[in-house]
Amino acid sequence: MLDPALVSELISRALRRGGAFADVFCERRRTIAFRLQDGAIHEASVGVTLGVGVRVIAGESAGYAYSDDLSMPALYEAADAAGLVARGAPSGGIAGVAIAAHDGNAPLYDASQGQAGGDRYAELLARADVAARRYDPHVVAVNAHVSDEIQEVWIANSDGLFVHDVRPLVTLGVQVIATHEKERGSGYAGDGGRTSIAYFDATTPEALATDAARIAVVNSTAIPAPAGEMAMIVGAGGGGVLLHEAVGHGLESDFNRRGTSLYSGRVGERVASELVTIYDDGNLACERGSVTVDDEGVPGQHKVLVENGVLRGYMQDRLNAKLMGVAPTGSGRRQSFRFLPQPRMCNTYMPGGESAFDEIVASTQRGIYAKSFAGGQVEISKGDFVFMVGEGYLVENGKIGPAIRNATIVGNGPDAMTKVVAVAGDARLARRHYTCGKGGQYVPVGVGMPSVKISSITVGGTGAGS
Amino acid sequence: MNEREALDVAAAAVGLAQAAGASEAEVTVSASRRFHVEARETAIARLEQSTGKALRGRVLIDGRKATLSTSDLTRDGLRAEVERCVTMAAHVEPDPAAGLPETFTAERPPLDLYDEAIAARDSDAKVEDVLALERLVRAADARVTNSSGSHYVDAVTVTAIANSAGFGGAYTTTRASRSTAPVALDGDVRRTAHYGTSARHFDELEALESIARTAAARATEMFGARKPPTAQTAVIFERDVAASMLEDIFAALSAANVATANSWLAGRTNAPVGSDLVTILDDGLLPRRLGSSPFDGEGVPTRRTVAIERGVLRSYLYDTYYARKLGAHTTGNSNGAGIGTNNFYLEPGSGSLEELIAATPRGVLVLDTIGFATEHASGTYSRGARGFWIENGERAYPIDECTIAGSFLDILGAVDAVAGDLRPDAAVVSPSFRVGRMTVSGT
Repeated sequence: MLDPALVSELISRALRRGGAFADVFCERRRTIAFRLQDGAIHEASVGVTLGVGVRVIAGESAGYAYSDDLSMPALYEAADAAGLVARGAPSGGIAGVAIAAHDGNAPLYDASQGQAGGDRYAELLARADVAARRYDPHVVAVNAHVSDEIQEVWIANSDGLFVHDVRPLVTLGVQVIATHEKERGSGYAGDGGRTSIAYFDATTPEALATDAARIAVVNSTAIPAPAGEMAMIVGAGGGGVLLHEAVGHGLESDFNRRGTSLYSGRVGERVASELVTIYDDGNLACERGSVTVDDEGVPGQHKVLVENGVLRGYMQDRLNAKLMGVAPTGSGRRQSFRFLPQPRMCNTYMPGGESAFDEIVASTQRGIYAKSFAGGQVEISKGDFVFMVGEGYLVENGKIGPAIRNATIVGNGPDAMTKVVAVAGDARLARRHYTCGKGGQYVPVGVGMPSVKISSITVGGTGAGS
Repeated sequence: MNEREALDVAAAAVGLAQAAGASEAEVTVSASRRFHVEARETAIARLEQSTGKALRGRVLIDGRKATLSTSDLTRDGLRAEVERCVTMAAHVEPDPAAGLPETFTAERPPLDLYDEAIAARDSDAKVEDVLALERLVRAADARVTNSSGSHYVDAVTVTAIANSAGFGGAYTTTRASRSTAPVALDGDVRRTAHYGTSARHFDELEALESIARTAAARATEMFGARKPPTAQTAVIFERDVAASMLEDIFAALSAANVATANSWLAGRTNAPVGSDLVTILDDGLLPRRLGSSPFDGEGVPTRRTVAIERGVLRSYLYDTYYARKLGAHTTGNSNGAGIGTNNFYLEPGSGSLEELIAATPRGVLVLDTIGFATEHASGTYSRGARGFWIENGERAYPIDECTIAGSFLDILGAVDAVAGDLRPDAAVVSPSFRVGRMTVSGT
C-alpha cells in the first residue's frame, strides 16, 4: 500500500517544525456483514475503511491528522497538519528517516482463507434462526448477525520501524426474545475471533442460538432482582467483564501518567485480595484482543497486572511509556486510522484458584450468582463501577435459586477486589464477542476468569430490600 | 468538498449502482473538516485536524437490500465496492417494504444550521479556549488539582443525498463544543467530573467561565458521599441525566424496535404510558438546533411529531421501511442506517431545579448515572447513580455507589413534577423532572 520511501518522506515532512517522534498508520479494512430478522435474511452490508493517519509527538503533545484520500497532495497536507503541534522553532535539517521493510513477528492469526461468499453467511444465520425457534415455543423473535472483516495495517515510524499486519475477525451473534405470560426476556450469545468464517464449522450457529434462547426463556420467567448489599458469585468466563471494568481500565497508562486513576503511583502496593491475579495478554491465539503487533507496531505481550493482590504494572502505549520512562507493552490500539492510539486492554483474565464452584455456592447464605454480564462501565478516578447482569440467579441457603431479572451491580474496584474471598479452579476465557469503548473509540477485546465469590456488593433491583 | 461536489459524487455512485444492476439506489456523501484541541495544565495535549469523507449507500434489486459504506472514493475503488454490494444483495430475501420513499420535496426551510464564525475561527483562538478552561477550572475551586483534559472540537460538515428516483439535496452545518474534566482531590479520594456543551452557532456556545464553574462544582460537591439506605422514594433526575433517560425512551419509540418485539411500548398506541405531565416530541425543524436538518437520511422532509401527549402514546418514530411494515407513514426519522432522533425532548414545565428540590420532602437527586442497563423488551431501567439525599427540601448529604431501578411504565406513570430548565445543547434534551417513587438500592 505505502512503500518505505514514501513513508520516509511523510515522516520527515511531519517533523519539519520539530517533534521527537512521528509515525504513519495506514489501514485498509474490508467488512462483510449479514443480518437476519423475522426469519429472513434482512440485509447484507459491505464496507471499506481506507486511509492514513500521521502523528507527531512533541513532549507531552500529540499532533494528528488523517486522510482518506491517498493522493500525494492530501498526504502532504496531513503530514503538515500533524506537524503543527510542534510549536517551537523549526528543528531544521532533518535528514530523510531511514525506514526498511522487515518481516516483523510471526503472525498470531491466519488470514489466508479470506472472506467467504454471501451464501455462507446467509446459511449460518438461517441455521441460528431455526435452532432458536425450535428450542422453545415461547421464543417470539430472533435477530442474528454475522460479520467477517480483514483489517490490513502498515505502520512506520521515525525510529525506522515498518511493519505490516493482516488481522481477520469474525463474529456471529444471536439475540432471542421470549415471552412468558406478560413478561418478556431477552438472551444473547455471540462468538468468533481472529480467524476465518470456518470457525463456525465447530462452534455451530445452533449451539449459540440454543444458548441465547435458553437465556431468553430463563429471563422471561425471572423474578425481580433483589435490592441491597449481599454476596455475589461471578460466573466463570463472561464474569471477566468484572476484571476489565473494576481493575483493567484503571491500569491503562494514560490515566496513570496523568495521575487521574486511583491506581496512580501504586505499583508494588496491595490493591486486591491475595487470591487475585490478573493478566492482560495480547498473544492468545484467535482471541479478539490479540495483536501480532499493536497499532503502533509493538508486538503483543503477556502482562502481569496484579499478582497475588499486588499491583505489578500498567498497560503502556508509546507516548505514555516514553513519558513514564518505561517500555511500551503492545497496548497501543485504535479504532481506525481516524483516531490517535490509546493504551488499551487486549485479553484480560484471571487464572484459576483452589476452590470448587459447588463449595462456593454452598458457603453462600444470601446473594446472587451472576453467570454472565451484559456489559459494564467504570469511573476511573475513584474506581466506582456498574455491571449489568445478563444471566443471574438468587442464591439462598447455599443453593442456586430462581433467575433474577435485570440486576445491576454497583461497587468500587479496589473495595470489590479486596472482598474476593474464594476463587475456583474453573478459569476459562469467555465466548469471543466483547467490544470495549474508551474516549469514543471501540476495539475488540477478550475477557476470562474462574468462578469467584465477592463477599459483599450492592445489587440494584426492584425486589424486596435486605 | 462543497455541496455541489458532494452531490456529484453521490449521484455518480447512484449511477454506478444502476449500471451494476440495482433497481433502486440511494447514496449519502458526507464530508467533514474537523478540528480538535485538548489541553492539560499549560500545554497542548493533542491537536487534531483532518478533512474526511465518507460514502454510504443502499441498493435494491427487486426488494433485496444491501448497504455499503466506504472511505475509498476513487472511481475504481467505488465501482468495485458498489459491485460487491450488488453481488451480496442476491443472498437477501426480497422484502416488499424495502425501497425508497415515495415522495420528496424541494422545499428547504430556513434552519440556520451554518455559522461562518465557527467555520472561519482562528486556530490560535481555539487553543486559547482550552488553555483558559484549564486555568479557569483550577481557579474555580482549590480542591481541583488535576484534570483529564479540556477540549474544543468543531466541525464543518457537508451532507449530500442522491437517489435513483431523482432526489438530490445537500446542506452544510457547523458545530462546536467546549468541555472540561477536572479531577478534585480530598484526602486520598479522587473525583472526576465532566461537563461540556455544544452549539451550531458560536454566539450560542456556553461561556468558558460557566463551563469551568459547573465542572468544578460537579467534581467537588460529591466529597464525603456515602451509600444511601435501600428505599422506595422520590427521585429527581437533573436535566442531563434526564436527557440520558430520554435516549432510552426514544429507543422504545423507534419503530424498528416496535416491529421486532424489542420495545415495551409495542401495542400501546393511544394507551396511557405516563402521567399527564409527560409530553415527548421529536422535531427536526427547530432553527439552529443540533438535531435539525431539512431532510432526513432518506431525503424525506423532517417534521414535528408528538410521540407522547400528556401521558398517552400517540406515535412511534418511523423511517420509510418500518412505516411500511407497520402500516404507518414515515416521520422523517431515518438516519441513513436506521431510525434516529431529530430534536427529541420532554416538554418543559416551569420552575427551576432548586424549586423542585425545595418541594421534595424526602428523596434522591440524581446528578450522574453510569451503566446502560435498559432492557427494551420489558422496559426495565437500572443504573448506578450518584447525587444527593434530600431531606426536608434540602440536599442532606452526597450519595454514590447506589442504583436506581424501575420499569419505564412505572417511572413515567409516577412523574409528578417537570421543571422548566430545558436547554437545547444537544439533539436529545430534557428539563429536570421528579418521579414520585422508585427503588433506590444502597446499604
